[in-house]
Amino acid sequence: MATMAQIRSGLAANLATITGMRVAEVIPDNPQPPVAVFELDRIEYDQAMQNGLTIYRFTVQVIVGRASVRSAQRWLDALIPPTGDSSVKAAIESNRTMSGVVQDVRVESMPSIGSIAMNDQTYLAAQFDVVIYA
Amino acid sequence: MSKFVATGTSVTVNGTDLSASVARAELVINAAEVDVTDFGSAGWTEVIGGLKSGSVSIDFHADYGSGGVNEVFADLLGTIATVVIITANGTEATATTPSYSTSVLVNSFTPVSGAVGDLSTWSVTFPTTGAVTYAVA
Repeated sequence: MATMAQIRSGLAANLATITGMRVAEVIPDNPQPPVAVFELDRIEYDQAMQNGLTIYRFTVQVIVGRASVRSAQRWLDALIPPTGDSSVKAAIESNRTMSGVVQDVRVESMPSIGSIAMNDQTYLAAQFDVVIYA
Repeated sequence: MSKFVATGTSVTVNGTDLSASVARAELVINAAEVDVTDFGSAGWTEVIGGLKSGSVSIDFHADYGSGGVNEVFADLLGTIATVVIITANGTEATATTPSYSTSVLVNSFTPVSGAVGDLSTWSVTFPTTGAVTYAVA
């Protein structure tokens, strides 16, 4: 059975396949965009008998840069399609079993995109909902 | 004795433990009603038990891996398989976690299933053949 450390490591490894993307498990005090930060939202236990399937739902927030910087919007444009070298969905699903750690992973949606305020700065960011079957 | 939430039902098919790919398991056994109503029934119907029968219903999560549920059923269609179910989250037959064993006719198999974006699952209901037995030890 997969451990949380293995799942986090696998998710980070998949995200890191995007060239130039940094990955953090907590929102950094001073983010160096582009950076992907993921956090566990919810676990659904007992999806099969004898712990045969557990569903982990993560939120991945990708901070692409200060809102005032034009390149930030270009980053977002590259990150949000379902396919492409910089696609967050394609990257997270690039190794769907995380090398055998989980059973499957899928990016379900991108529920929000916009600006977030951090340390008196405004950043552009996109949020992705990720479901992991393990 | 206690009530329980089903989280650990054990399901084996032909000796392969498929529990981790089972989302629901159900065994139903019936006895046919044989009408013996006659003029002496005082205006009421009377029935007695007739032939017994049963069915096993299981919701599976598709899995094509070695020893996975799809591999186990790949060549079973039309054959008789042995199903053993240990209920009440037990791992072995006890008085409070009885084990039910039966042979079933594998009369259906869904090798491909799933809507886009959904977990791939499939469900079956097999008729039992012969007796359904249970053990408490």
